[in-house]
Amino acid sequence: MTNRRSVDFQVNGEPMTLDVEPRLLLADALRHELGLTGTHVGCEQGSCGACTVIIDGRAQRSCLMLAVQADGAAIQTIEGVSEQGEDHPVQVAMHEEHGLQCGFCTPGIVMSLVAAHRAGTSVSIAKEEVLGGHLCRCTGYVNIRAAIDAAWTRLDGTS
Amino acid sequence: MSGRVVGQRVARVNDADPLHGTGRYVDDIDLPGMRHAAIVRSHVPHGRLVTFDTSDVPGDAIAFGPEDIRGVATGGLPVLWTLGDQSQFHTPVVDDTLRYVGQPFGVVVADSRYEAEDAVECVFADIEELDPVVSMDEALAPDATLLYPERGSNVLSTFDAGDTPEHTAAVFASAHRTLSTTITIGRVHGMPMEPRGIVAVPGPRGALTIYTSTQTAHAVRDSICEALDMPRRLLRVIAPDVGGGFGLKDHVYEDEIMVAIAAMKLGVPVKWIEDRSESFLTTTHARDERHSVDVAFDDDGTLRGLRIDALRNTGGRFAVFGGGPLFTGFGIVPGPYKWDAVRCRGRLVATTTMSTGAYRGFGQTQGAMIRERVVEIVARELGRDPVDLRAQNMISPEEQPYRTRTMLDYDNGDYQLALRRAEELITTGATPDDGRARGTGYCSYVHMAGIGPSDANRAIGLAIGGYESAKVTMDLDGTVQLATGVSPHGQGLETTMAQLVAEELGVDYTDVELVWGDTETTPYSAYGTAASRSIAVGGGSAVVAAKEVAEQIRQIAAEMLEAAPADIELVGGRAGVRGSNISVSISDVAAQAWQGFGLPDGVEPGLQASNVYNPVSATFSFATHACRVAVDESTGQVEIEDYVVVNDCGTMVNPTIVEGQIHGAVAQGVGAALMEEMVYDPSGQPLSSTMLDYHVPVSETMPDIRIEHMETPSPYTPGGMKGMGEGGTNGAYACVVNAVIAALPDADWAHLKTPLSPAKVWEVSQSASE
Repeated sequence: MTNRRSVDFQVNGEPMTLDVEPRLLLADALRHELGLTGTHVGCEQGSCGACTVIIDGRAQRSCLMLAVQADGAAIQTIEGVSEQGEDHPVQVAMHEEHGLQCGFCTPGIVMSLVAAHRAGTSVSIAKEEVLGGHLCRCTGYVNIRAAIDAAWTRLDGTS
Repeated sequence: MSGRVVGQRVARVNDADPLHGTGRYVDDIDLPGMRHAAIVRSHVPHGRLVTFDTSDVPGDAIAFGPEDIRGVATGGLPVLWTLGDQSQFHTPVVDDTLRYVGQPFGVVVADSRYEAEDAVECVFADIEELDPVVSMDEALAPDATLLYPERGSNVLSTFDAGDTPEHTAAVFASAHRTLSTTITIGRVHGMPMEPRGIVAVPGPRGALTIYTSTQTAHAVRDSICEALDMPRRLLRVIAPDVGGGFGLKDHVYEDEIMVAIAAMKLGVPVKWIEDRSESFLTTTHARDERHSVDVAFDDDGTLRGLRIDALRNTGGRFAVFGGGPLFTGFGIVPGPYKWDAVRCRGRLVATTTMSTGAYRGFGQTQGAMIRERVVEIVARELGRDPVDLRAQNMISPEEQPYRTRTMLDYDNGDYQLALRRAEELITTGATPDDGRARGTGYCSYVHMAGIGPSDANRAIGLAIGGYESAKVTMDLDGTVQLATGVSPHGQGLETTMAQLVAEELGVDYTDVELVWGDTETTPYSAYGTAASRSIAVGGGSAVVAAKEVAEQIRQIAAEMLEAAPADIELVGGRAGVRGSNISVSISDVAAQAWQGFGLPDGVEPGLQASNVYNPVSATFSFATHACRVAVDESTGQVEIEDYVVVNDCGTMVNPTIVEGQIHGAVAQGVGAALMEEMVYDPSGQPLSSTMLDYHVPVSETMPDIRIEHMETPSPYTPGGMKGMGEGGTNGAYACVVNAVIAALPDADWAHLKTPLSPAKVWEVSQSASE
């Protein structure tokens, strides 16, 4: 059990080195080793999407990955989405459209949408397939879809 | 009704934390020296624990077994609702008899959760297996294995509600016709996105602080103190951010108390976070009922009598509210219609499964299903339009206040108007020829919210008070704190309660901070946030307290401005003389008030007021839901093509938040109607232990719900609010089922059982084509 590995990665633009057990989940490393508790763990089974972070440009479940697998990666978490105090249009739209209630699933949804827009995903795919990869128990998804419409409009100038 | 800020669609005040990752849920708490717990649980549905052997547990972990726990937990967990001939009033924190898979009987503490889980594997528990009793039919069989042999039966309570058998029989005898049906309500799980969790922090002189993901900090404190025979003053319970509750987090659980005991024994903070499979196995399930229903009616469509004989699977032990959900369902089953007789009998049946307890709707969802199915079968029997039949039997505003046969006093509202408007709005036009069957379904309901007063609770066997309290304090700078016993976890009360107070005080709602979820800083509340009562009862109390502070401000401002208090109006952060340009800023008034300078006679220094609001009556919101479904008979797949809600919850503090609550509540009703089911195999092993086995609605499931509001203020609540958080679930469950049945009217629905999963719809649709 004392077998440990060193992991070097970049988190929200900052280089980090961690000394971890090989079995440590990336979600737990972010939350409990680095104190980035905005990434939430809802199921540890890849179903709910609450733990989604952006790894080398792709939205991924941090509960389905070991911290050691992220060696060398660039990771973005919810804490790193606002830039110089300015919120990302997805964050703004989630607030303005009442797209969150208890807020537990919210960070994962925001991360998936931010990655999807960067990848050029259309608004309809974002609403149908990207949001389809997340579970929310509070909103019935109605206002999250409204937020996606609003965010894409803001980002692209069209809906 | 609509005011300067009440009724406005202002944005929520507390979104920034989840959107930036700066929230503080219980698993986000990290304390120096904190250790981590994992729970030892039963893997059998029924058995007797013989040994709890910890000799293989590694030295850096420590295990506490039943003897250790019993030594501290000398009391039990209360069952807060007593019905009929019930004899179980407490349940033990730890029990050597195991009655469901997942029942906790030990706790292991180590330096990390990973190591604690490893150590749990090293505990050897010798369990002598007993016969499982999985279904209610098995439990009721004459030779059934008894879960509580001293009870002599697996029926833990039999109780009645509504009219006498004699009166009911007379009404049935005088009616032109009768029909019977059976409706089976599937077992569901509320599945909040954040599982349960606790951090227990021992303090000096026997004190203990608990952070826990709960809806109700005071009730958690009360139960732990009872179980541990501990003075209330030593225990502080704090709810940090809570990621959804839906009724499942309305009490403390055995495993949480075990973690608290471990922390006290070790003298260090201990954290335990439920994992998702533990949540499915051991956080209360809900419903699991079978209703045999008789209805009496006349040839002209007049509804006359309703008789229900219901069984509820209550699991291996009572959850905190016992048979309360079934009783509440009986109470509301008359709905918006007039009846000459309503009689209900309930039996609570013990099986070797997880307990069923509170979940959004608390029985009112089932009550709506029973009644709205009955209305449909009567309409079909008579060849009547079901909407017309509903309208014909509805209570009119002229007949209100109206006492139901189950002794509820409905306040006010035009139920027919909501029904007719929903009928106008729902899509019923030409259907695309895609081979799918279409059906339109309805559900009209009255929703008992704002439950109280205290003595009304006691009269029905519910051992918790029905009042709420508020303390409004305006500080020296004119900003405001509202301390409340209710406890938001997604409902947006941080915003709506601030709106209520800001309306009275004439300040910006963002300058009003809600103080909640901490037994040391908030007034007592037996409920916390539950039962759709926070805005009606907790909000009502806040309005009264805020009015009192507003009067204090007016008196002091009047003295400062040399005017009469009655001429002072509070608006835009200023106290001004009505009809003039003379004013003073409210923060200047506050600064003066707190120093006690220049106060009029009889006015004390400071600006604060406390209120205790014990309501006159419960409040009754209402709505009609209508939906349009397409059913693919070759696959059994149901698509909801259109969904309409016409809703009246009294005064709306914030229509956007009301709509958000409706959206989410409808999704949970849709889930129960079409996909959600907790399943046990015949040997008593749970099969629904992951989110891949227990399906909840995804975005694709949910249409863009169309909502129209009516607004009939409560005649009782200060502010006029009625409460509405659960209503959408009560409507959606029956509405969707009615729509599916309307799409396949000739199928055999005599033994309806939810959820109407694709497999079940396919199977039933085959009966129609035969």
